[in-house]
Amino acid sequence: MSKNKIDITENVMSKIRTEKIKMKPKWYFWLGSLVIFMTITGLTIISIFLISLITFSLKSHGPMGAVRYEQILSSFPWWAFVVVFIGITTGIILLRKYDFSYKKNFSFIILVFIIAVLLGGILVDVSGLDTLWMKRGLMKGFYQQYGDSHQQKWNNKNKDNGWRRGNFQ
Amino acid sequence: MKDLKKLTDEQIVKIVRTKDKEVYLEIVLRYQEKLLRYALYLVQDKAKAADAVQESFIKAFINLNSFNTKMKFSSWIYRIVHNQVMNVVSKYKKELPLFENVDLDSGKNPEIDLTKKEIRERVNKCIGQIPIKYSEPLSLFYLEEKSYGEISDILRLPIGTVGTRINRAKVFMKKICQKIK
Repeated sequence: MSKNKIDITENVMSKIRTEKIKMKPKWYFWLGSLVIFMTITGLTIISIFLISLITFSLKSHGPMGAVRYEQILSSFPWWAFVVVFIGITTGIILLRKYDFSYKKNFSFIILVFIIAVLLGGILVDVSGLDTLWMKRGLMKGFYQQYGDSHQQKWNNKNKDNGWRRGNFQ
Repeated sequence: MKDLKKLTDEQIVKIVRTKDKEVYLEIVLRYQEKLLRYALYLVQDKAKAADAVQESFIKAFINLNSFNTKMKFSSWIYRIVHNQVMNVVSKYKKELPLFENVDLDSGKNPEIDLTKKEIRERVNKCIGQIPIKYSEPLSLFYLEEKSYGEISDILRLPIGTVGTRINRAKVFMKKICQKIK
């Protein structure tokens, strides 16, 4: 044990003295925390927005379940899933990299995140914010696209398919 | 150097960060023996334990600015050693003892049969035979004399889970370590 003791002390201290190892500056950790905070905030906003978009799309396309489902599938912004996946992975990597000691339960964080997002999305739907966003504000164009234009696109696509089928027969 | 002995770990960390890196020696001296013992319980190999502890001291120094001096330094450094040891364990998985399939249902409360002193003696004898999942909280509690709260910080487990694992570790000891007697 005593041999190890001497070796460890000498090895560690000689690396410090010769500056083979250097302390990472404070700003490095501040920057890390900032990036993590921004990633989580960004992800939450994107996810709430997506959930509200799904419920909005469901409301705006009438009561026919199967048709609505197909409409959502055809017009759903699938790229957002890739963004969310990359975001969550980056967030966890950053948390692991920057966090050295403090108790963080990753499964709990993800669970809280999912619940917060679902509640946020439902809240946007219940409060009628999505309808408001369709009429005014930054999201106006996007919501209108999913509210009106997709209905029109869907109708045109069906018309087109019907014509082709008719031509075929 | 005499004055340093009176200072807390957290105060020493502040000096290392702002004034004198050489003071880090005091941290190394304070902790290396405890950490070596802790690592040795888990990896059962002096060279690997020493490597893990040395690497932990280096990592701790590099990341010293991320340490919150309002928290406990000992939990922080033990956590780093824990991570380092877990890397070693996963690297040499086949060589280390794993008895995950042992039946834990003894039907008895081991607390009744064993006093803290007896447990400490037994832990010392046969900790290498118990799966790390259970031996680690056990060694931290009985040998390193950490509180449930500190163990919870080091292992990032809820306090209730720490208690459960310690109790299961005692059952393991009864089942496995009796053979070593």
